[in-house]
Amino acid sequence: MLFQNRFSSTSLPLVACLLATLAIGCGEQKKQSASTATSGIRRFIFITNGDDPFWDACNAGLIEGATQQNLEAKGLRVVMEKNNGTAQGQIEKLRQFVSQSDIAGVAISVIQAENEAIAEAMKTLATKGVHVITVDSDVNREKFRDARRWYIGTDNITGGRLLGTAAAKILQSRGKTTGGYVQFAGFTDNDNARARMNGFKDSIGEGYHQIDRMSDEMDLSKARDNVRTALVNHPDLTALVGIWAYNAPAIAEVVRDRKVRDRTTIVTFDAQAAAIEQMNDGGIDAMVVQNPFEMGKQTVRLLAAMQTGDTKTVQEMFPDASKSDKPDGDIYTTGLRLIVPDPTADTDDSPLKAEDFTAIFGDTIELLPLSEFRQWLATYGLSSS
Amino acid sequence: MPHPEASPKISSLLRSSEWALVLAILLAVIATAVADANHSYWFEPFESIRDIARNTALLGIFALGATVVIIAGGIDLSAGSMIALSGTTCATTMLALAPLQMMGMKPVGPLVVTIACIASLLVGFLVGTLHTWLITSIRLPPFIATLATLVGLRSFARALCESSTAALTPTKSALINVSDPLFKTVRENVSIPVAVFGVLALITWLILTRTVLGRHIHALGGNEQAARLAGIRTDNVQWFAYCFGAMTAALAGLFYVANESVAAPVNQGRGHELNAIAAAVVGGCSLAGGVGTVPGTVLGAIFLRVVIDAVSKIIKTGADVYEGLIVGIVVVIAVTFAQIGEMAQGGRRLLPGGLGLCAIPTLAILCGAIATMTAGARAGMIATGVAVAFLSFVRLWESRRTA
Amino acid sequence: MDHIDTPHAVVMQGITKRFPGVTALENVTIEVERGKLHAICGENGAGKSTLMKILSGIYPPDEGLLLVNGVEVRFTGTRHAEQAGVAIIHQELALVEDLSVAANVFLGREKRTSLGLLDEQAMTAECGRLLVSLECHVSPRARTGNLRVGDQQLIEIAKALSLNASIVVMDEPTSALTENESVRLERTISRLLAHGTTILYISHKMDEVFRLADRITVLRDGRHIKTVNRIETTPGEVTGWMVGREIASRQFDTPRVRGPKLLEINNLRVPWPEHPRGYRLSEISLDLHAGEILGVAGLMGAGRTELLETIFGAIEPTWTGTILLQGKPVRFRHPREACAAHVAMVTEDRKRLGLFPDLDVAGNVSLCSLTEALRGGFLSRAREESLVAAPLRDTGVKTPGPHASITALSGGNQQKCIIGRWLLTKPSLLLLDDPTRGIDVGAKAELYSLIDRLCRDGLGVILTSSELPELLALADRIIVLSEGRLIAEFSRAQATEQKIMEAATGS
Repeated sequence: MLFQNRFSSTSLPLVACLLATLAIGCGEQKKQSASTATSGIRRFIFITNGDDPFWDACNAGLIEGATQQNLEAKGLRVVMEKNNGTAQGQIEKLRQFVSQSDIAGVAISVIQAENEAIAEAMKTLATKGVHVITVDSDVNREKFRDARRWYIGTDNITGGRLLGTAAAKILQSRGKTTGGYVQFAGFTDNDNARARMNGFKDSIGEGYHQIDRMSDEMDLSKARDNVRTALVNHPDLTALVGIWAYNAPAIAEVVRDRKVRDRTTIVTFDAQAAAIEQMNDGGIDAMVVQNPFEMGKQTVRLLAAMQTGDTKTVQEMFPDASKSDKPDGDIYTTGLRLIVPDPTADTDDSPLKAEDFTAIFGDTIELLPLSEFRQWLATYGLSSS
Repeated sequence: MPHPEASPKISSLLRSSEWALVLAILLAVIATAVADANHSYWFEPFESIRDIARNTALLGIFALGATVVIIAGGIDLSAGSMIALSGTTCATTMLALAPLQMMGMKPVGPLVVTIACIASLLVGFLVGTLHTWLITSIRLPPFIATLATLVGLRSFARALCESSTAALTPTKSALINVSDPLFKTVRENVSIPVAVFGVLALITWLILTRTVLGRHIHALGGNEQAARLAGIRTDNVQWFAYCFGAMTAALAGLFYVANESVAAPVNQGRGHELNAIAAAVVGGCSLAGGVGTVPGTVLGAIFLRVVIDAVSKIIKTGADVYEGLIVGIVVVIAVTFAQIGEMAQGGRRLLPGGLGLCAIPTLAILCGAIATMTAGARAGMIATGVAVAFLSFVRLWESRRTA
Repeated sequence: MDHIDTPHAVVMQGITKRFPGVTALENVTIEVERGKLHAICGENGAGKSTLMKILSGIYPPDEGLLLVNGVEVRFTGTRHAEQAGVAIIHQELALVEDLSVAANVFLGREKRTSLGLLDEQAMTAECGRLLVSLECHVSPRARTGNLRVGDQQLIEIAKALSLNASIVVMDEPTSALTENESVRLERTISRLLAHGTTILYISHKMDEVFRLADRITVLRDGRHIKTVNRIETTPGEVTGWMVGREIASRQFDTPRVRGPKLLEINNLRVPWPEHPRGYRLSEISLDLHAGEILGVAGLMGAGRTELLETIFGAIEPTWTGTILLQGKPVRFRHPREACAAHVAMVTEDRKRLGLFPDLDVAGNVSLCSLTEALRGGFLSRAREESLVAAPLRDTGVKTPGPHASITALSGGNQQKCIIGRWLLTKPSLLLLDDPTRGIDVGAKAELYSLIDRLCRDGLGVILTSSELPELLALADRIIVLSEGRLIAEFSRAQATEQKIMEAATGS
């Protein structure tokens, strides 16, 4: 256990061997993927906030975008890097990319909008000439707008309002004009979570009051525990709102387990595969679905355009960019969809009608019954969105 | 058993095992520079140097604390949680003293920052005292006492964060953002944490090698009973060691907050105590106590961070998936081969009996799995084959030698 | 086991065993008749335990033959010996405290059911039977750790019996027993003998030996001295053989000058709650003057170390009585306090309690006086070297240099370093606990001169030792402890090895 001279003669070759093995191994890997930096291939990196099936759909979009934009011919590749759910993880990754010289562009779903360090790291990357954009979750636009050039994503406030409107309509159709609801998210101070929750609260109407916002820090078992706690603490809970993708199946399962489905209304964001099944079984009343696939596709389109100097495409995507009276010109919105259960023999049609929504939200919103949504998924080989 | 290198001669700057570490670091850097397809080390060294320097300093600060505790014969598993608690204490203090500025993301002023930092270090002192009390008066084994604080302190930090934000801000939150320009300066200037680390290393080295207390720490770790019988107040020496460990972790926590611009007790520093212990052990500390040096730990921290950076540079995407695996392997190799000489002398075998036979396929499959995941099926099969051949050779050689 | 018809259950012929640095046994031959109790007597270090460990398979002899029931055997381990019918009951009990009695009795040889699972019922029943036959009233299911030592000993015996051992070795079995338990044990022994078991019984208690033994073998310094039938000899003769070496009188000619009274102990009693007799030391009174060496003799477990530890403050001060140091009452709670009062103690077992293997020679010697090696508040290598130069020279340590590793030195030199360490604290009272254990003859002589010199310089020394000639050579007075009590006191003129041994063995 005490260090002796042996270390000098035996461990050195071993450490060298270990790294040499890695080197050889990764040399092999590169040969297989047929791209080496010596031939100048540069990378676009997509940094997620955590590990969630939502990002798998986005990844599919990235791949589709890569094909459409013909990245290979342009000497580019796109890769998704999944973060571990912490701010430090994103900061470390961004800093690591600063020290790697083959990065052409970075798209990031920022996990903490207020976090200065993340914004600074993004700026450092930008000063190096790397194109930096945010996707799905932006930095605080008031403070750190200059940390990124463009934002692709959903307007989460609109999304929240959409769900709130839908929830109000469903509750009214069930004869519940008042009641309390709880919102469940990963981090309640995450920018997109907050936007959705606030949007929901604004639009559901004064008849209903928000009892609590519960966070589970991306811990799936805690997500379930939160639902159980909410049901126990507030026995007259009228509605449960799932803000992040994995909250939906958590809520639906626990509610079914507790056999309180008949007196609760469940509305959720995003469509994990499990959530889709649950809506099919009648476990969820409405889903507002983003389009991560589209986000991925547009990310690649934008980054490729920025990299190749294609100002025309950029202009197409952000027509209001230089207009001083349109402060949101740097946002590209990927659409929202409201998914409702299919009518069955036992139930009436859903109380939600497309006309009502286009009236309020314009035609950026699409209302789809579940079966149509599933068809759409199938065309792209996705199981979730 | 002879220990020719037991006390470092001042005339030779480092022990031979530490020169070996220096060489290992250089080899790792060279290997990375070559194996990295971008040759980032070659073309753009400064960014990487900055990164590695920053991370080494952050790790090194509380690795020094771990070193002192280990040399004193103890162990501190709670450093990562102490980091979280320290950061939370600092942010909470700033929030309590200047709530409007904190919430508005405005500067809180150097006085408030100073008070907050002192509060964090004070909490470190209290935790160190708690550890010592549990270990010397309640007679808990250090492993158990610091295991309890490993889980307890983080939970306490979370509760503190949530209740203080609930009381002082409109909403309860699991984190507190910190945007004071002092912290920003620390974040942007790598030289600050590096300088602090350097000064702390110098102080620690002085204490350990040139003070009576340091000599007592070595004595305590080397032979606790004999130390007591030689008139050393072992309880007080342990008090110093554990407080030093906790306070260096507290100091590191302040740098973590600066680095991430947030105090997030849920996950901040989670698991990092093991990196500190690994740095100390790779640098020559013995977990039995009584052995260890500051230069060794410093080199160990550098080596660990260089290896982690190498992994990121070579495995370009998804490197953090493999990081833990590589670090674990490196630590095992580093310590195993330090013991090989003793094992050979003592007639102990690397692969004895039935256990050794089972170990051969286990290790071979591990090698093969890693190779397959990083380089494909063909490399995986080659790696498995090579491992089986090599280990079988070792076993045959051993059984012939002792037969 | 094959039985060749022979009256001897065990024959050990020409057994020699060497350990690094010492020959434990030299050409020892004994023959043990079947069905008899054969006692093995000798001083500490005579080789009794080593001989019995060879018999029970713990280690092999370097030279010599072992015949069990007439058949030559070379045991490869204790299991092998057990299979040959030899079982040993150690002085330190080898029981697993958290397991039940039955589990301990069958440890390593558990009974199994036809399915291969543990057959608790069978083991409990069998164990119960054994315990009853030993007059032991504990339940086979009881937790072993909760039992009294006397019962634990019987469980060891039960273990041996369950092996159907025909040869049982008992190593000082009554050292931890009360009167009643010892009597009970003796009844058990009689039953075993009646059953035909051969018993080898290591003991130094003459009364026991002379009650139980049929034959007695005396070992001394690893050699066989004598084997006689018990009826043909007396306790006095036996103790004579145990110590009967040439009293190599390495006397110091000039008598030492006695100074003022340094230490006075009155009615010291150190409690020992777990033990049947209740005390480690009882009614100890002594005094010591400066310039005097007081020798403390006694067998292992008599309380010599405890006496020194109590004076030094190395144990919790729960003792009663008074200790006066230079006339002032003291009650040290920590060795630091003793150190500050100029009391020094060189512990027994230097490896476990005295040396710091990771510090070099200078580090080991300077440890108690580091404040004198400071320059500007920091330890100065130069000052440390000059600080330790004097004690290293005065004690005559042979070392390549002050920065050599302490573990590279010989035992004698290591001990000198430790003495040097304490000399630097300028003690007035020096306590030496078995300081020459494990040290070769030459180094011993040097240490004797050193101790003598220190005394002439005015130190008061209390010296414990297992070696009687050492005490006779060095001490001005010798007290003898036996089982925690002060049995006898002799002046140098009166003392002889025989008398001391008789007092120590309680005969």
